[in-house]
Amino acid sequence: MTTPLPNPPASQDALSFVLVSLMKGVVSRDESPGTWQALLQSSARVRDQLGVLGLQLVLDEAEGHAFLRQRAPVDGAPELPRLVARRQLGFGVSLLLALLRKKLAEADASGEGGRLVLRRAELRELVQLFQPEVTNEARWMDRVEADIEKAVTLGFLRPVGEGADAFEVRRILKAFVDAQWLGEFEQRLARYRAHLTQTSGGEQ
Amino acid sequence: MDFATLEALRLKHPAWRLLVADHAPFIASLLHQCFIESHARALPRAELASRLEALREGVRARRGDEAFPREASAYLDEWAADDAGWLRKFYPPGAEEPHFDLTPAAERAIRWLEQLTERPFLGTESRLLTVFQLVREMADGIEPDPAARVRELERRREALDAELARARAGRLERMEDAALKDRFQQLADTARGLMADFRALDEEFHALDRKARERIATWEGTRGELLEAVLGERDAISDSDPGRSFQAFWSFLMSPERQEALTHDLERVLAHPAVQSLEPDARLARVAFDWLEAGEHTQRTVARLSGQLRRFLDDRVWLENRRILQLLRGIERHALALRASPPGADFMALDGPALALELPLERPLFVPPSHARMEDAEALEAGEDVPSDALFSLTTVDKGRLKDNVRAVLRTREQVSLAEVVRAHPLQHGLAELVVYLGLASEDRRASIDDARTQDFLWSDASGRRRRATLPLVLFLR
Repeated sequence: MTTPLPNPPASQDALSFVLVSLMKGVVSRDESPGTWQALLQSSARVRDQLGVLGLQLVLDEAEGHAFLRQRAPVDGAPELPRLVARRQLGFGVSLLLALLRKKLAEADASGEGGRLVLRRAELRELVQLFQPEVTNEARWMDRVEADIEKAVTLGFLRPVGEGADAFEVRRILKAFVDAQWLGEFEQRLARYRAHLTQTSGGEQ
Repeated sequence: MDFATLEALRLKHPAWRLLVADHAPFIASLLHQCFIESHARALPRAELASRLEALREGVRARRGDEAFPREASAYLDEWAADDAGWLRKFYPPGAEEPHFDLTPAAERAIRWLEQLTERPFLGTESRLLTVFQLVREMADGIEPDPAARVRELERRREALDAELARARAGRLERMEDAALKDRFQQLADTARGLMADFRALDEEFHALDRKARERIATWEGTRGELLEAVLGERDAISDSDPGRSFQAFWSFLMSPERQEALTHDLERVLAHPAVQSLEPDARLARVAFDWLEAGEHTQRTVARLSGQLRRFLDDRVWLENRRILQLLRGIERHALALRASPPGADFMALDGPALALELPLERPLFVPPSHARMEDAEALEAGEDVPSDALFSLTTVDKGRLKDNVRAVLRTREQVSLAEVVRAHPLQHGLAELVVYLGLASEDRRASIDDARTQDFLWSDASGRRRRATLPLVLFLR
């Protein structure tokens, strides 16, 4: 999701460069330091320009990343068509993201070097606990692989190294899978569970 | 040093575990060669693995193929695991592959082994002098009485004057060979010890950081109390005794004059015949640079840890983390209960990080197919008979592998030309492989083939002959 473009020219093109980079995805300090620097210098102008499009800049200097969000509609003003697409996630991916968020929190609490890298086997282990007991193991594995793949396309996992066996959990995950999102997830699960209990006559 | 402590140490301490490990000689010799001898602080996995492989081959040649049957990286991971603890595995910022560093415990074990084979220390004179020197410095440092200090300085000046007078008269006291050797041994020992100290310092800093984080994560009181308790700890890292000592060491070493003087004097000492007879380690001559390098590593660790700790203490993050862990417990509970019948279809929505702009014009328009021509204008040698079995020895090119190659190169860049892909992943089957790449490009909507420009490809075929092909410019896009 991040696009490390070449370093921007020092002229007034910098603003355009920053805007386009932001529209293409997350701008991160570590992956594109040039763009990051330009963004910090022109953040006020960037915000103005984005405001016109109904977008909001989220800039986290401590974590070192920035991205765009749809601005909440102002009362009375006609709502603009959405530019930021809402993606639908299946249960498996949602759960995987939540568990990855937990891993990040744990890694932060133990202070292990700042980068969280998990092997494919570790990712599988993470969700294994939640797999149905009687199930076709191979099909379940395929589904987990697909979920991992999806997390990679969403930009929350980044393959590291040659063998595609290890993945870095990118810290940008914290900005998207936040307390609000997790809260909603939890409520939905609670509702779904209640619904199941009703339909199956209270056996669950 | 009672029985119970030693018993526990033997089970728990990585150094002792290393000494009693089945393959201790193998492990220790590799780690010694890679880290201690070369003064390295962190090695990428590939490099360490290839050196392990080389050593393993050597042992297998002598012992037979049963010895050390596993892959190099399997050994490395085992040695870095918690129940060994001889290597520290970590991802430095921006690195694609894991790096390894020796743990201080393993280093101590290896140093102890080293001492078993070293020739014994020649004399005790230099050590005694060091002790006297240290005691004098401390006594001077705590002297409260100015008059006493003046007397001491005057005494030293008289001694200096006397020495000056002797030197002017042409009488020099040259150090005897034995005394020189004695001091040199101590120097070499101390210099090596310093390298070990850096590693131990790193670990010390990590431990301080972990302790602070543990307290923060398990804090039950209010945030105000937490800040009060941890505020000291915020600078716990750079303000601790080891932290200060390291800072002092660092600023002393950073002075260019001191570095130059040290290097210059060392050169002279190393050139002396008495010292030469000890066969000193050649790396000692540039030990100041090694210290700088290792010290910088430690310096970076301190800066990174302080930054992370501050971020972790940030109140927004702190509150959110607690709330999130609570929510996650709820989610896990529900998900466990729903194991048997997980919700199907789309369950949650998440804003995408990139804007969904896809212009119709981004889809490529119709392009008349270009006709590839094979020209062999440079077929210079055709003198000998072409063996007909060449026609039958077909090679298969694995299309998936080539696709992976392209993807791997695109991981770090927006677009690459075919020539760059080939540079990163050299051709194995020559022209056949290039043709498959061309096929990939023509199937890929996001790749382009530009007939107007060309690129040259050079490779050696199976018989070792140099080959060249000129292809239209092929660009792969992310």
